[in-house]
Amino acid sequence: MASNAYSLARARQSSTLARVNQVLDGFASRDRDGEILTAVRHFPAREAQWAEFPEWVRADLRAAYNAKGIQRLYSHQAAAAQDVHAGKNVVIVTPTASGKTLCYNLPVLNEILENDDARALYLFPTKALAQDQLAELHDLNTRLANRVGVFTYDGDTPSDARKAIREKSHIVLTNPDMLHTGILPHHTRWTRVFENLRYIVIDELHTYRGVFGSHLCNVLRRLRRIARFYGSKPQFICCSATIANPGELASRLIEGEVEVLSGNGAPAAEKTFVFYNPPVMNRALGIRRSYINEGSRVAQEFLKHDLQTMVFANSRLHTELILTYLRQANPQQPGRPETIRGYRGGYLPNERREIERGLREGRIRGVVTTSAMELGIDVGSLDTVVMTGYPGTIAATWQRAGRAGRRSGSSCAVLVASSAPLDQFIVRHPDYFFGNSPEHAFIQPDNLEILVNHLKCAAFELPIGPREKFGGVDVQDLCSRLAEAGYLHRAGDNYHWTHEAYPADTISLRSVTSDNFVIIDITGAPQVIGEVDFPSALTTVHEKAIYLHGGQQYHVEHLDFKERKAYVKQVNVDYYTDAIRYTQVRALEVAATERLPRGGGDQGPRGLGLCHWRSHGDVLVRSQVVGFKKIKFFTNENIGAGQLELPENEMHTTSYWITLERALLESLPYTISERQSAMLGMLFAFASVATLLLMCDGRDLGAAIGERPPAPGAEGEEFSPVRLEDAVAAGAKEFFEPNLYLYDAYPGGIGFSEPLFRAHELLLAKTRELIQACPCEAGCPSCVGPAGDLAPKAKEAALAILDRLVSVEAGS
Amino acid sequence: MGDKFSRLAALRPARGARDNLEALRAPDGDVDPLARLLGAGIARNHYGEHLSIRNWFATPEFVEPTGKALELLLRKSSGPQVALNPGSNPRKRPASQGEGHVCGAMGDPERWLFLDTETTGLAGGTGTYAFLVGLAWWASGGLQIEQLFLRDFSEEHSLLQQLAERIAERPVLVTFNGKTFDWPLLENRFTMTRAIQAPKLAAHFDLLHPARALWKLRLGSVRLMDLEREVLGAERLGLHRFGDVASALIPQYYFDYLRGGSPDPLAGVVKHNQMDLRGLAALLGKICSLLDEQGSLEEEDPLDLFGLSRFLERRGEPERAQAACSQALRVGLPGEFRPQARRELALLAKRKGDWERAAEIWHELAGDSKGGMEACEQLAIYYERRRKDFDRALEFTQLALMKLERQGWVSRDPLWHARRMRHHEKLMCRVERLRHRINGSKSAPLLEKAAANAGAR
Repeated sequence: MASNAYSLARARQSSTLARVNQVLDGFASRDRDGEILTAVRHFPAREAQWAEFPEWVRADLRAAYNAKGIQRLYSHQAAAAQDVHAGKNVVIVTPTASGKTLCYNLPVLNEILENDDARALYLFPTKALAQDQLAELHDLNTRLANRVGVFTYDGDTPSDARKAIREKSHIVLTNPDMLHTGILPHHTRWTRVFENLRYIVIDELHTYRGVFGSHLCNVLRRLRRIARFYGSKPQFICCSATIANPGELASRLIEGEVEVLSGNGAPAAEKTFVFYNPPVMNRALGIRRSYINEGSRVAQEFLKHDLQTMVFANSRLHTELILTYLRQANPQQPGRPETIRGYRGGYLPNERREIERGLREGRIRGVVTTSAMELGIDVGSLDTVVMTGYPGTIAATWQRAGRAGRRSGSSCAVLVASSAPLDQFIVRHPDYFFGNSPEHAFIQPDNLEILVNHLKCAAFELPIGPREKFGGVDVQDLCSRLAEAGYLHRAGDNYHWTHEAYPADTISLRSVTSDNFVIIDITGAPQVIGEVDFPSALTTVHEKAIYLHGGQQYHVEHLDFKERKAYVKQVNVDYYTDAIRYTQVRALEVAATERLPRGGGDQGPRGLGLCHWRSHGDVLVRSQVVGFKKIKFFTNENIGAGQLELPENEMHTTSYWITLERALLESLPYTISERQSAMLGMLFAFASVATLLLMCDGRDLGAAIGERPPAPGAEGEEFSPVRLEDAVAAGAKEFFEPNLYLYDAYPGGIGFSEPLFRAHELLLAKTRELIQACPCEAGCPSCVGPAGDLAPKAKEAALAILDRLVSVEAGS
Repeated sequence: MGDKFSRLAALRPARGARDNLEALRAPDGDVDPLARLLGAGIARNHYGEHLSIRNWFATPEFVEPTGKALELLLRKSSGPQVALNPGSNPRKRPASQGEGHVCGAMGDPERWLFLDTETTGLAGGTGTYAFLVGLAWWASGGLQIEQLFLRDFSEEHSLLQQLAERIAERPVLVTFNGKTFDWPLLENRFTMTRAIQAPKLAAHFDLLHPARALWKLRLGSVRLMDLEREVLGAERLGLHRFGDVASALIPQYYFDYLRGGSPDPLAGVVKHNQMDLRGLAALLGKICSLLDEQGSLEEEDPLDLFGLSRFLERRGEPERAQAACSQALRVGLPGEFRPQARRELALLAKRKGDWERAAEIWHELAGDSKGGMEACEQLAIYYERRRKDFDRALEFTQLALMKLERQGWVSRDPLWHARRMRHHEKLMCRVERLRHRINGSKSAPLLEKAAANAGAR
């Protein structure tokens, strides 16, 4: 006992750096072939760059900051405050822990102290973040004799407090959902705020991409419209994590000019970033050790060396697994509080606050969390971060890594890769990751479904005038169609809302359709255990499916399609189910298309006319779940199948696609089935790389293969819509000239297709790199898909196709 | 009484049914079949036009409410004064009842305006319009009704302008659920114009809450229509709801009309609104007569009397509450309400300091299955504090404990369990204290003996 305490004390004395290095040395000694630690990068410490408070900052506000221990500003804070003060819309791009809240609080508070009428609205993507900011603002406010009214206004605000908040707040902290359903449709109660609205702060801007961003853009259109009605023109202050196009995203969201401030004057501690690839167990099948176990082991090594550690997992289930493992390894000392904690969405606010405090004070030595900790909740500095699984985007990876070493002298972040293609690509191409090319964030606010929904809300809020545009879109035509449908009525020149319903209630900002299936466990007394959204319901809770929830298996007894309910019973079986989905894509309208290499392929690089096309445009996607396979755990044997009769799902969306010309396919020295398999494998990898480039969730993008219409002669001509034979199912008959589609998995599309079309060459190159660098023999889940599903030479053939596509590119 | 008649007399000649109102332009029948259908004229101001439908009705007759009744209506309910939580202190009376003081326009029935709107939905928010605003005021001993109607949304400014003028003339609003629905909605509409200020009200009597207190027990629901039939004597007032439109369909009728459909159902909507206004005026008379001190309670239904007593009690009139409650019991309150009424009486007596009377009632209630526990607890307090009879107090506390335990775990609500736990603890504390006092009141050796006993255990 005594010696243990002694060694611990000694460990504390040695620097964090030394202890981190000890752990890393330990890993390195086990990694003889250099296959495990694929990258170890050191980032030197950076000095702070200071600036004085701008001279327009009031003495009392400066004193309040001084009292908090802030005597000077970082250079980027001063620059941002200056630009805001000058009246510009800004987007501030800085990593976590660089003091971004000061960038907006300083100018906003200054203005409010100068002018008691001024109002500001702060938008945060989650309620927890708003609470966090509230605490920060309260702290400042007490030093300002509580002259500023600061309140959160969200679903948790008691109804009897709401009226006072509307009257008294100078700063309202809320979220886009509350703005959408609770504030804008009741703007008459917020007259004082809207008449004097000076600032809108949008924090964590990078979270507003895809569907959520497209919705927010429309909510902001409504907000600006109402502000205009009350005679105010608010200025926007946005904060974003590092993404490739913060300025573009911000200016698309607020539909105005934005100044981008990307300097960072905050000091940074020395940091080591490590990529950890779990060792291969079966080279032929490409099977690696479980990244969950490996991640836990890495975290345990750090904890053993008394390094405060945060472990990120990509799902709730995984947080629980890792937590269990770490607790077993670090049993609670009798009479002492638990030192290893979990932290995720389902925890109660009080419990979260307690954990945050525990982390700041160092009582808690380890925390296992989901993306909940990615955003700017203040938990102080940690020594190390372990990410089990690639977070999905470069930006999110840096965000998570930023949790380590906020203040301490040295820190370490470890990324433990899973065997998913994306993870494997990242850890095997460290230069891609560290090469400073974070993803782009895209939105498509003019998606018709989203636009029309918000137009309804807008009409509910204020009648729509005769020449009025909605975020630059001419909506008169849409209004007249809504009038025909009975939602609007034209009186005089204006369109008025004429429906009993309250439109905002039926529109959820977090997806396109708010249609969810409820999962009811009927093992005992019926109990709701979860929800799945419509698109995944068909593949995960169809009848006879095995549904996994909280580590428990459930058998789906009955799917009530009309009532959107799935009834399940707990079971314990040794298989899982995999739905067989049948997808058809048909091009409806081609927005752009191009034959490559440019100038035609007749005299192509190899004189073979090996050409392909890239295109994007509108498509009709028709999909149906027609059956399912039962697959045994561990061996992945197919032990049975079933047929299903589920309704067909049809959706108009946008897509990007590649067409392979006949000559190119025929130049491949492979059998028909190998070629087919190769194309499927290539598509598998292609989709993974596309999600990587797009900074989107894998589920946002659908992949399908289909026949190109048989009229390839006419260059640049539109494809005439043709019914495709179809299907992704392997073993279908040979495609003459196949189209490989990557489509937006949301009705109407959310803006991925055009960027993919532009990134065509990069996509092909990265896909080839991914497959080429994979050490498996004939395909694995990390590249072209599991070997068992494909023809033997599929991987080789896929590479051959890509070689032709890429070399054609290079030659052009 | 004489005063009332002189007022009435003064009212009559001074105000003709139509005087003081601007002239309306007759509608051009061919162009405006709707106006003809509704019997409307066209009102005009600098914002434009809208329809106005004016009618005078002899019923309900004007009833002059007394100052006391009005004061009670204006007084804020302090919530149930009788503690629902046995043992806890009854809430303090509202400190200032100054707001209840009837002055100025409030006491002058000529300046009251009955208001009821028909809207394009119940959801609220900025996209809900009031397309028909019904107004009524006393005139010539009867009721003058004026209904303002939007032929289209573009007429809203002109309608609101006129509404603002009417409210300026009569700034005391009388509504049914108007505090939560009609008035906030109209305030929204005024704000949306950015031109016409929402007029200031001198007072707002919302009759929903008193009506609920008074008649919910008997009627179950207190829709205006039910009140007319069951309380107000619809027949006598000439209120016929025969063929009345269903409220739920009203928005759709209006939308249909806007889109070029038939305007016919709107005549029914206008009629419906008139009926509501007349019912509202009659309801005010009825409530005021019940609240009036001089009013006779002889003919009232016992359940209504019980409701009245609770209403009075909440608005700080314990004396009259007690009278109404006793009267209800005397007239023959249905069995299931009797223990509850007796409990109220006991608590009222206790509040007045009439401990003996209260104890008497608690003794009667002690055997009751529902209220028995509270009665026992109250008796324990009585014997401990008033009679200093600690043995009996202990006996009743233990009885209360037994009853509490016998209640079982009937609710799944965790708060209920928390409350029950706290209650249990409180009773245990009382038992402890009483034991201590019983021992203390006896000789010191006994105390030592008790201590020794405790030590031995």
